[in-house]
Amino acid sequence: MYIELAMALGLGAVVALVFLKNRKNVLKAQDGWWGVGTCPQGPEDDSIRPFKVETTPEEIEDLHRRLDQTRSFPSLEDSRFNYGFNSKYLEKVVSYWRNDFNWRKQVDKLNKYPHFKTKIEGIDIHYVHVKPKNLPEGTQAVPLMMVHGWPGSFYEFYGIIPLLTEPSSADDIAFEIICPSIPGYGFSEAPQKKGFDSVCAAHIFNKLMKRLGFNKYYVQGGDWGWLITTNMAQLEPNAVKGLHVNFAPPAKPGLLMVLSILFGRRFPKLFGFTEHDVKRLFPCMEKLVVDAVKETGYMHIQSTKPDTAGRGLNDSPVGLAAYILEKFSTWTDPEFKNLEDGGLERKFSLDDLLTNVMIYWTSRCIISSMRFYKENFGKGLNQPHAKLPVYVPAAVASFPNELMHTPKLWVTQKYRRLKTYTPMARGGHFAAMEEPQLLAEDVQNFVKIVEKRKKK
Amino acid sequence: MGFEDSIMQTFDCIKETLGNLDQSKLQLLALSSAGVGALLCYLTWKQSPKMIPIGDGWWGAGEKPLTEDEAIHRFVVKTSVEEIEDLHRRIDQTRFTDPLEDSGFNYGFNSSYLRRVVSYWRQEFDWEKQVKLINQYPHFKTKIEGIDVHFVHVRPVQKAGQTVLPLMMVHGWPGSFYEFYRILPLLTKTDSNVVFEVICPSIPGYGYSEAPHKKGFNTMEAARIFHKLMERLGFTEFYVQGGDWGAFITSNMAQMKPECVRGLHLNMVIARTDSFGQLLSLVIGCYLPFLVGFTKEDIRRLYPYMEKNIYDIMRETGYLHIQATKPDTAGCGLNDSPVGLAAYILEKFSSWTDLGNRDLEDGGLERKFSLDDLLTNVMIYWTTCSIIPSMRFYKENLKKDFKTRVDRVTSVSVPTGLAAFPDELLHCPRAWASSRFTDVRSFTYMSRGGHFAAMEEPQLMADDIIQFVEKVESKGHK
Repeated sequence: MYIELAMALGLGAVVALVFLKNRKNVLKAQDGWWGVGTCPQGPEDDSIRPFKVETTPEEIEDLHRRLDQTRSFPSLEDSRFNYGFNSKYLEKVVSYWRNDFNWRKQVDKLNKYPHFKTKIEGIDIHYVHVKPKNLPEGTQAVPLMMVHGWPGSFYEFYGIIPLLTEPSSADDIAFEIICPSIPGYGFSEAPQKKGFDSVCAAHIFNKLMKRLGFNKYYVQGGDWGWLITTNMAQLEPNAVKGLHVNFAPPAKPGLLMVLSILFGRRFPKLFGFTEHDVKRLFPCMEKLVVDAVKETGYMHIQSTKPDTAGRGLNDSPVGLAAYILEKFSTWTDPEFKNLEDGGLERKFSLDDLLTNVMIYWTSRCIISSMRFYKENFGKGLNQPHAKLPVYVPAAVASFPNELMHTPKLWVTQKYRRLKTYTPMARGGHFAAMEEPQLLAEDVQNFVKIVEKRKKK
Repeated sequence: MGFEDSIMQTFDCIKETLGNLDQSKLQLLALSSAGVGALLCYLTWKQSPKMIPIGDGWWGAGEKPLTEDEAIHRFVVKTSVEEIEDLHRRIDQTRFTDPLEDSGFNYGFNSSYLRRVVSYWRQEFDWEKQVKLINQYPHFKTKIEGIDVHFVHVRPVQKAGQTVLPLMMVHGWPGSFYEFYRILPLLTKTDSNVVFEVICPSIPGYGYSEAPHKKGFNTMEAARIFHKLMERLGFTEFYVQGGDWGAFITSNMAQMKPECVRGLHLNMVIARTDSFGQLLSLVIGCYLPFLVGFTKEDIRRLYPYMEKNIYDIMRETGYLHIQATKPDTAGCGLNDSPVGLAAYILEKFSSWTDLGNRDLEDGGLERKFSLDDLLTNVMIYWTTCSIIPSMRFYKENLKKDFKTRVDRVTSVSVPTGLAAFPDELLHCPRAWASSRFTDVRSFTYMSRGGHFAAMEEPQLMADDIIQFVEKVESKGHK
């Protein structure tokens, strides 16, 4: 009898150890050095410098000259956006860009929020920092970092920032928002060394929040921003109060996910699949594999030959615009491929779209932005962060036209403390820019839930 | 129990069972056995179709007119002061960036080395001189199915006793007819009993051939157009040679009109179907190569499997993926930026010649090619604005049906010569090739060379073509 008892105790201890070990398993990151050459001795300059976006007549003349010397090539008859960006519509965009788009005016718009730069791990990190203007007495603004993706930028958040810093309703939370540029994107300096992946970016962003004096904060992200904010939560679960994402592809297919793919069509209720889930996931060969292959050519070439892929785009503004805006078309609604104009102006203004392109153009960051794909995917999909779950309170806003649809069941495999999973009414990949009101509401809803809990 | 004993036992068993059956059951058994036997015979001896349909097409803009101009016009490659000035202006406004420290060619074309190439291009490369070089052979254009098809036509220097054989050589991507300029003298003037009259066309959408205006232009359409070209030139029987897309197109030509194709020579063997059978033989071949017909050289080139066949292919096919899905987007910037175009194209001349080049700061480009030749090829894409239509060819060919398309499931029955170069991207063992190419007359493991074989190892390739053709000519063809 005693032997059995001892064995049971022993087994129990092993199980407990494994369980506890998983719980305590925090993602680790080492400090890196991404500047040129070797890390200098002595402390780093950690001052925060205000930054203003600027332009010059030379910059605009150079752009115009290049636009004027575009060598376009006609698209095939009746091919619309199925072979990529349609040449006829591209001519319209270029004409607007050349004759009507006012970059100086857009630069003023960019500068309406305060920008800063600060050096972390050898590179200049750029960010926008917006504080609420009319804080009611006795309340504190809730710090929130919002991280963009590719081919976006901090500018994607310009529509949603006022909704979160100056909410219309009195019982909404007022946020203090930080929108950084991922190193290698926009006005953040690009890493000079190999190996800068999402965990390195997350580590730097956690340091940024600390440097700004925040010990606890929320994070929000889509596209690469989803992965970076997830890593931030994995690296510093005590600092990240809540994680909100509008994009959540599953990292590793677990057993439950595979079962749900095999049987989910027949028994949707068993896996909690809604009608929308079934529509987006089945037939799974077509929806999960074929559709993905059709849209991931850019990902494949950027994950393997980023320097080659971006080279021409850094010389040709029209090439750059076509490459970037094609995504704003297809990733907003896959049906847009069948439209002559790619449906671009249905959800976005040309001014906003071109401002985002100009950020890539003037900062010459297209190559470094593409290298992020190689740094993340080049090592394979079995990275430590992919295997670790997330224990920070999380929320997912599931937009109907998002590139990859993740049903609630799959999300909960990774995000173990999922507070809300909201099927959104409309919207695609660039949710913050396309449906700022809807996204802001969902962020409010989520943060209120976490804050209420905290107050208890 | 011994083997023979068990056989005897089985026979006894069968005899006993049969003996116990009554008349009607025996008849049923006999009939069904005959039926099954007939089915098996049919399946075994059923030939896979040896031909693909010829079809027809119209690729010009708008509607097809009633008549077409079938004349063959002389064509001379030209350049102008404006063209060169425009190129220089664009090169001068290149916005270079720095490569990552210590990255070689692993992230794509290294920016530091690119500066050196561009400097040569800007200061020393003489496009007028290269145009003269291109024009050393006569060029022509002729309208077929609505588009202008360009080709080089080189007549041989015939020695006494030599037979002149027509040979069409088809290029691929990102190459051009210019790839054959080093091998042309070796084929049009030989010491063998055969010498060649060579036709090097440009695939529609590439170089000086007009691009199709309609969707759907794939390798079979190109094959038919090239058949019409040879017909128009007065050739009823000829040899064909190709690599890259040229290999697909010439194979299609052999499948479409085998009576016209005397022999097919390929430097890229396209017989991998990744079917269950092939995958199985890969697994078995690792341990028992003789069982699946692998030679020692096959082993050396196929394994380690994961690395050579999966990782390397994944690493090298990003361009294929984006060109097969969004060619108009992928080529847009390259049509404005000559440096971007050069980096994109020359990266292939580096990696596909030797994958080890990825670790070199200069990509090993100038080890096998001269900058003049490399840039001339790039200039052909640049001056003709053909990068976008050249990329569209990938989308037209790599549709959902690319494994089940009629030409992929049809065998090739004309006499075939295969030159397997060691640094070609994917190795195809002879055993697999024989299942697609049913009349392989020569299969040579070439001693060195990669994807751009004609340009890199013209002598080796010319020798192999000649020995193959001699074999076919001496044996006579079916």
